This record gives sequence, C-alpha cells and structure tokens, in this order.
Amino acid sequence: MSMFKLETKNANLWYGEKQALKNISIGIEPNTVTAFIGPSGCGKSTLLRCFNRMNELIENTKIEGEFLMDDTDIYDMDVYELRKRVGMVFQKPNPFPKSIFDNVAYGLRIIGEKNRNAIKDKVELSLKNAALWDEVNGILNKPALSLSGGQQQRLCIARTLAIEPSVVLMDEPASSLDPISTSKIEDLIYKLKQKFTIVIVTHNMQQAARVSNKTAFFYLGELIEFDNTEKMFTDPQNQRTQNYVTGRFG
Amino acid sequence: MKSYPYTSAKSTDKVFKYIALSFTVFALGILVVLLIDIFSKGIARINWDFFRNLPSRHAEKSGIITALAGMLSLLFFTIVIALPIGILAGIYLQEYGKKNRLAKFIEINISNLAGVPSVIYGILGLTLFVRILKLGNSLIAGALTLSLLILPIIIVATREAIRAVPDSLREGSYGMGATKWQTTSKIVFPAALGGILTGIILAVSRAIGETAPLLVIGALVYVPFIPEGPKDQFTTLPIQIFNWTSRPQAAFIVNAAAGIIVLLLITFLLNGLAIYVRNKWYKKIKY
Amino acid sequence: MTRLQEELKQLRESLSNMAILVTNQLKKSVYSLLDEDEDLANEVIANEKRVNALELEIDRDCEYIFALLNPVAHDMRFVFSTLKINADMERIGDYGEGIAKLVLLGKKAFDKSLIKEIKLKEMSDTSILMMKDATKAYCEDNTKIARSIFARDLELNEINRNASAVAEYYIKNNMERIPQALLIVSIIRKLERVGDHITNIAEEVIFYKEAKVLRHIEKGKNNQKEI
Repeated sequence: MSMFKLETKNANLWYGEKQALKNISIGIEPNTVTAFIGPSGCGKSTLLRCFNRMNELIENTKIEGEFLMDDTDIYDMDVYELRKRVGMVFQKPNPFPKSIFDNVAYGLRIIGEKNRNAIKDKVELSLKNAALWDEVNGILNKPALSLSGGQQQRLCIARTLAIEPSVVLMDEPASSLDPISTSKIEDLIYKLKQKFTIVIVTHNMQQAARVSNKTAFFYLGELIEFDNTEKMFTDPQNQRTQNYVTGRFG
Repeated sequence: MKSYPYTSAKSTDKVFKYIALSFTVFALGILVVLLIDIFSKGIARINWDFFRNLPSRHAEKSGIITALAGMLSLLFFTIVIALPIGILAGIYLQEYGKKNRLAKFIEINISNLAGVPSVIYGILGLTLFVRILKLGNSLIAGALTLSLLILPIIIVATREAIRAVPDSLREGSYGMGATKWQTTSKIVFPAALGGILTGIILAVSRAIGETAPLLVIGALVYVPFIPEGPKDQFTTLPIQIFNWTSRPQAAFIVNAAAGIIVLLLITFLLNGLAIYVRNKWYKKIKY
Repeated sequence: MTRLQEELKQLRESLSNMAILVTNQLKKSVYSLLDEDEDLANEVIANEKRVNALELEIDRDCEYIFALLNPVAHDMRFVFSTLKINADMERIGDYGEGIAKLVLLGKKAFDKSLIKEIKLKEMSDTSILMMKDATKAYCEDNTKIARSIFARDLELNEINRNASAVAEYYIKNNMERIPQALLIVSIIRKLERVGDHITNIAEEVIFYKEAKVLRHIEKGKNNQKEI
C-alpha cells in the first residue's frame, strides 16, 4: 500500500508538437495541501489536469506515463467515476446559471441521489464546509450569479465538495478575487486538508507558502524541486528554485 | 490662448448627426405614413363579424375565419415538425459533431439555405410532398414545406445560442464527472434556451408571412370552409389579403387593409414575445 | 482563527515556557550557593541542554513564520521581539549554568559573612523578581511592568559597583580565603549581566507593543517621562 494518494511516474504530455510535461515523477500524500508553483507556461496546470483526465477534453493531446490514484492506474478507471472522486475548482468562478441550492445539488443529482432530504442535508453540509452557509442560508433559491466573486468561488468549492471527493484539485482558485476573498479561501483550504487531499496550482508564491505543506516547483515542463514548504522557502536546494522564490525571475 | 484647429472636426460631427437624424426621420416617416394609410382604410372594418365570417363574394360579409384557422393549423403542424428536428439537429451539430472541414461545409450551407428565396421551397414542396408523396395541396404538405423553410433558421439560432454558452460551464460539469449527455441536457440546453426560444419565435413569425411557397404548392385562394384535418385544403391570411387586393371592388381594399392590420398585430405580438423572452432569459444568466 | 494567529499563539506559549525554564535555572543556581546544595547545582547544569534545545526550536519557529506567513505591523514586531527575547533568555540560562559551575568549584567553602556583606542574596532576589516581571510583561503585553524593570536594574548595578570594594576589604583581612571570594565576585558579575539581559527583554516588550525603540538610552533615572 503506497503512501501516496496521487502519483505519477515518468509523465510526458504533448499539445500537438509542443511538449508540455517532461518526465515528471511526483507523489502526493493524503490529507496534505501540495502547491504547484512556477512561472507561466511551466506545466503546472497541465499536470494538475492530468489527475482528473481533463486534458482529454482538449484535442490533439498525447499523454505518456503512469498516473495512479490509490495505486490504481486512472486510465483503467471509468473516467466519470474518477472525476467524482477527484474534484476540480477552476480559476474563474463558474457557477451554473441556476439557484445557489441547485448548483450545490447538481453533483448529487448527477450521481443519482433522489432522496430530497438527503440532498438538502448534503447541500447544507457542503456550504458549511465551504464557509458559505452563514451568508446564503435563507437565500438558497436566489440565482448563483447574484453572489459576489468571492462567494461564487466558495460556491464552486461547495459544489465540488458535495459529492465527497477524496481529492480536490484547485487551479489558481483565488487569482481572480480581491484580497479579502482570497484570504478567506486560503483559510478554507488550510482547514479542508483535514478531510481532503488538496493540490493547488498558484502563481502567487506567498499563497503557496501560506497554505501548503509541500511545494513543487516547475520550470519549462520539468519538476525542478519538491519538498516541504518550510524547506522550499527557507533553504531550497536548487539554485533555480531559490531564484524563483526570491523573485529574481518569473 | 491659441485656438486649435479642431473646429472642422466638431462641425463634421454636427453635420453627420443631422444627416443621420434626417434619414431616420425619413424612414420612420414612410413607415408612419403607410401605417396611417392602412389604419385609416381598414380600422372601420374590424369587428367581431370580420373575425367570424367566412369569405364571400360580398365584401361586407367577408371574414377571415378560414384564413385564421388555416394559418393557425398550418403553424401548429409546422412547429410540431420543425421544432424537434431543428433543435436536435442544432444541438448535435454544435455539441457532438466533429469540428472538421465537412462540419464547416455543412454549417455554411445551412446558413445559405436560410437565405434561399422561399419560392424555391415552394417548388421543392410541390414536387416532393404534393406530387411524389401524393399528399396533395393539403395542410400537411404546406406544413412540411414551411418546415423545410424555417428549419435552417431554427438550426442556426440553436447553434448560436449553444455556442454562446461559455465553455467554463461545460468544464465545471465535466469536472464533476457528468457525462456529455448530462452536461448537454442539464447545463448547456437550459442555458441556451432563451436564445433558442427567440430563434423559434422569429422563425415562426417568418413562417406566418410566407405566401409564395404556399401558393406554389397549391394553397387555395378561396376557401369557404375551415380545415378539419391535416389532409384538408387550406388558405392563410396573407393569401386571403392577396386575394382581396386583386379584386376590383373598392370595398375589398378595405377588407384587405383590415386583414393587414390583423396580420401586423400578430407579427408585433410575436416579436414582442420574442423580445420579452430574450430579456427575461438574459437577466437570468448574465455571464 | 487564521493560521497566522494560531502560529503566533503557539510562539507566545513556547517563549513563556522558555521564560519559566530560565527563571527556574536562575533560582536554582543561586539557591545552590545559598543553601550549599551541590545536587541542585548539578541539576541546573544538566538542564542547560533543555534550554538550548528550546532556544533552537523558537528560533526555527520564528524563521518559518517570517518566511511563510509574512507577518506585518504588530504581528511582525511580535515575532521580531520574540526572536530577540529568545536570545536574551538563552544567555540568562547560560549565566545560570555558569553560576552553578562556580558553586561546584567553591566546594561548599563559601563564607556566609562575605555573602551577606556583598549583598548577594538581595541581588539574586531582585534579579529573580525582575525575571518574573519580565515574563509577566511579555505574557500579558504589559508595558507598565516592563518599565518598572529599568529602575530595579539600577539596584543591581549599585551592588555590582560596590562589590569590588567589599571584596578588596574582605581579602585584605582573610588572605586564606581568596579563591572563594573571587568566585563570589564572579557570581556578582554574572548576576549583573543577567540584569542587563532582563532589561533588554523589557525593551523588546515595549518595542513590540508601542513600536518604540529604547535601546542605548539611559533609563531608570530622571528621564522616566521621555521613555
């Protein structure tokens, strides 16, 4: 039984002719927050989207290497099952044009939950887990798009949490939000790791430092360094890592 | 203080404003004149009898009931046929179809079909539905012909509405493990619904006004009975108006004017409905 | 509570523990002299390892908080001050160990009359009181108590100044007891240094609370109003 929740061995990925991932091997431990950092175009989002096979939605991608979740090859699994166990939160909040309640209940209805009380309870629980319940209790039937940007993003998090995935992937979840919403989301991420395994891509190094236990630094499609966050930000081993975290480039 | 040479730009601005204004007034003016003409000629004729009477050789007794009934039945069948095919085709082509050269070819040609003169559809309908399929000059043949006519409009409107749904919504759905069908039916289609409905209403209001293709397939000009089934012969309001305008008696011109008023009213109502639906949908899903 | 607030709370607790540990070291070391208890002295020497380990831990915690959580304003001053107070406390602990080692060297041959004359007990009592006050000032963010420490340090300085004269007189009259007299003077000097470090701690507490820098200013005299 491996100690990793998610793992990849010798991952390579091409968008057409361009190679976006070069021989990546990395293991994500359960109940941790792992941050992927690096300059634009370094492959961090691409790697993230491999874990729930979202890259398959883009045409002309070629993938090589092993991708494992709980020691099972994710390409042997039903992709819809995989995506229910590995949830994703996107950069720009994308709530559905439905009510707040229906947004969170969407996933439950997709998996076939019919019991209305069960749905109601799970919606409440997810909104509480996403630190949004106090703000929306009583207006659950209002359109989701009437919420502010930060609230919409927390709604998207609640929506993902509702189907109880074991992993949550976050692709720059706070980059389109104001500072106060950002810090609310960071506090949320820090608390969520007790129940979930979280991988977050961020171009904001200080954010990675604040919320993660482990940090991986990527550059031009390669994994340069991967270590405990404390080590990465006080004494990184690789010169390129040092240059990046001290703001010398990127 | 030196005066800068921008006075010429300012005066060009003014000139353009006045020219544009005068053209607008002119165009609206013509429209207003036409409307006043029609209304003054026909408004006196509008009463319950006008709506209830069958057409007759006597202008005062002529009514539009058969034309209205024919038009509404025709519309009913047209919608029943064209709607499902048009929407499903639109969804398939936009969401499921591969995006290759063939697909682009199809897309261009469907748009072209929307611009084909309606009389061509009439000829096609005559050959295919009336003669080959032996449906005769019936409501069903008319409905099938009109369906062909408005199908491209519905397909294009559906595709545009679906195209306008942002990919981020689809991603959000797929990210939760939804299948393509679940995503299309629960997220994409509801989001596109307003645009689709608007397109349908506009297609229908186009169909209402079509006269040429119906004449070609043999819609009767003088129909003294209300059609009872799809195999029956029929007439429509535009045809009825056409009929009245070709009569020499002045009283029939009054009838024609009254018929035009009714037709205009129906058209305005439908367009108003389209605008209402579009606005309501727009508010609901502001991206 | 945000993560930063949690970390700051833990840091405060760690330093409080350090303060208690070091105060006890100091207390035990002077009582090992006054009660002629060599076991107590050995205890102090053995415990020095714990003081050093705790100092390293607090240093590392401060480092991580600065690197990862970017504290600003009074949070930043708090971590900054804690880091410096940590260093002062470790030195105080060192002096405690140093006193204990001197006690062992003396081999119970200390003259109680000299101890009384040189006012060693008063000095040690005052320094322990100052240490307790400094701990209280830090734990409760109390700058009033912090300021009271400056005046007490003057008492220590006074005793230290007189110590040479007292020792000189004693040695002239007790030539055979020079070694232990010198040891006692060394202990006095160490206690004076302890007082200085405790004063530093008080300055750091005031810096943290009020953003006022009081280093290198003469305190405890007539300029009380200015500080």
